[in-house]
Amino acid sequence: MTQLAAAPSPRMKPAPARSRQGFWPAPTGKPVGAGVEDTPSLLNRLQIIGIATVLAFGLLSALIQFLSYQSDGRAADDTEQLVRVQEIQSTLLRADAIATNLALIGGSGDPEQIADRDTEYDAAIARVFTLIAQAAEAQPADENALAALNVEVSAYATAIAEARSNLRQNWPVGKEYLSGASAALRADALPILENLVTANSERADDSMGGQHPFWLLLVGLAAVGVLVWLNLQLARRFRRYVNVGVAVAGVIVVVTTLVAAIAAWRADSQNDGLQDEELRMAVDQAEARTAGNDAKAYESLRLVKRGSGATYEPLWQESAEVVTDVADRSILDEWEAYVAKHEAIVRSDNEDLRGPALRVATAAGANGSNAPFDAFDAAAQKLVDDNAATTTDELRAGRTLALIGSLLTVVLGFAAAVAVARGIGARRREYA
Amino acid sequence: MRLSAKVAAATAAVALLVSACGYDETPLPEEKKAVAPESKPDCETPDESGTDPVASYNPGEGVPTGPKLDEIRGRERLIVGVSADTYLMGSENPELGNRIEGFDIEFAKAIGRAIFGDEFETGRNLELRVITAAQRIPLLEEGELDLVIRNFTINSERWGCIAFSAEYYHASQKVLVGTSLADGDEENGEYHDPSDLAGLRVCAPTGSTSLSRIQDLEPDAITEPASNHTGCLVKFQRGEVDAITGDDTVLAGLAAQDPYAVVPEQQPLSAEPYGIGVNQNDVDLVRFVNYVLEEMQTGAWDAAYRRWLQPLLDPERDDDVEQPTPVYGR
Repeated sequence: MTQLAAAPSPRMKPAPARSRQGFWPAPTGKPVGAGVEDTPSLLNRLQIIGIATVLAFGLLSALIQFLSYQSDGRAADDTEQLVRVQEIQSTLLRADAIATNLALIGGSGDPEQIADRDTEYDAAIARVFTLIAQAAEAQPADENALAALNVEVSAYATAIAEARSNLRQNWPVGKEYLSGASAALRADALPILENLVTANSERADDSMGGQHPFWLLLVGLAAVGVLVWLNLQLARRFRRYVNVGVAVAGVIVVVTTLVAAIAAWRADSQNDGLQDEELRMAVDQAEARTAGNDAKAYESLRLVKRGSGATYEPLWQESAEVVTDVADRSILDEWEAYVAKHEAIVRSDNEDLRGPALRVATAAGANGSNAPFDAFDAAAQKLVDDNAATTTDELRAGRTLALIGSLLTVVLGFAAAVAVARGIGARRREYA
Repeated sequence: MRLSAKVAAATAAVALLVSACGYDETPLPEEKKAVAPESKPDCETPDESGTDPVASYNPGEGVPTGPKLDEIRGRERLIVGVSADTYLMGSENPELGNRIEGFDIEFAKAIGRAIFGDEFETGRNLELRVITAAQRIPLLEEGELDLVIRNFTINSERWGCIAFSAEYYHASQKVLVGTSLADGDEENGEYHDPSDLAGLRVCAPTGSTSLSRIQDLEPDAITEPASNHTGCLVKFQRGEVDAITGDDTVLAGLAAQDPYAVVPEQQPLSAEPYGIGVNQNDVDLVRFVNYVLEEMQTGAWDAAYRRWLQPLLDPERDDDVEQPTPVYGR
């Protein structure tokens, strides 16, 4: 190793250590104050301190980066789980919107239309059960809540089957089963889903905030501080301004810290961007889809329970406000087209024009409210799918860099430790 | 050795830190508190000691007239609050374009025909507005409805808020049970009177007098409230209750929807005189309704009863059910 000053003569004895504050050694290889302090022991201590410092730096810095790697992975998983429970929420209300609409069509409606809506309802309920199973596997902390939800969804599906069986025979009790099932869905199942959405939103937010550039800088600065101190101690005793080994270790620490901190800062900014844009969009459109289906179910329920417009219309308005508040502009046209049909239904129903109201509420084509609503529902779901996929893909893509950085930091920490050992070893050889 | 112990401890600490990323369990919603029953309108019982609650206003001689009748004729529309889910009394018929039909509806049509004469058309001159039981008095008081014909029991307290026509049907509180409690097999348990309800679960609408009355008659009966009588039928079909109590007219409609439900021969638990509700200020309309009810004594009432209620309430036709004799005195 190249030294900046000549090595001391092997015959020279170390000077005893002197407690002189503010002393700055002359730039020679001769230990200052030799004979007072046990220099080999001092070098050993300094070497241990130096090695321990850079190793601790390497491990801590690597750990912070590894935690970031893990955090991004969790953020991707938590985001997927959040989107999954929101899909359960909106699909469940989609099933309710279809079931209540089917009740309006009645047993004497167009068999093809009934079969189509039946298939849609069955598919929605099957999708809900599949998502519940997937969600329980993906997040153990949600298991109990999902088990409780499973019970409520089963009860809902049973009640809807009972309702449809009675409605096919034109028994008024069928309407009671139907409205009771819808009410129980909102009273018992939706609060569980709201808890799941809240819990998973918090988890996703926390995980996405798992990048720590400040901690990386702090660890790096602390390591550099110790290395500077170490260098001062050596310079004081060996009349060299700079110990090359310690300096190399310092450079490794500084560069590693800067690179890791910048990478973490960039990842943090990227996560903030995803949180504010793609994830926000996915969450909002899922909320809009949920509220939209809620409104659609209320529209059918007001017609199922004749004369209940005063009860259900305020609830429709409440859900519709959520849609207009959170739905993306790109899907508002579809929503507005549906709202126009809904207003026609309300006008007819308020005048007790039952036939026209039912025709608009159940017609399969462009004359009815189902087609524009289905277009809104599909557009909202597409936005959710696209933005959720972008969020999770980017979170997973970025985390590989953090893992590589973490492993590299450990290696560099060892390299810095070797540099410190060799730098102080050179002093020991001079002394010997 | 000491060093390796320290390394092991550090490794364990790091492992703990890395693995300490478990999440708190998602909480379940808190148990919901029971919702208080819908409060009834606060009607102050009028000081009418000695007045029979079923007594109404005498229509007098000839066809009654008055400002309310003029108003109805002026707008060419009679607005009547009815039920659409009380099978046989007032419910939608999906086979007839969801037309509302039933025993109560026959009276609405008869009154409409009497007001508008030969020009009367159900769709044009009669608006059947579907209301809940809780809306009956408030909507009459607010003047939103001209009449309420929705299995409406006349009592003194309600006279404090609204006016009633003369009694148009004499209903009574009875008990509906499963066919197993009315199959003649005494060993298997049979329903004869409320004492047979001891230990059984009996359903009636939340806060209803039917529920409290059954509790008074048989304290060992387990009362199970539901939001309405159809809600009781849902509970009955799910095996959550063993019996339903309420007006015989309502119970007949429930029994018609379930082959395993029956209203056995029994003594009525109470009298439920049905009247047509009118705003207190529309005395001319009350007199007119009473005039129409008297006109229906010539056969229209009997036809309505035979069409809607007799097949289920009196299938053997061994009861001599007649239109209640009107009582006047206000």
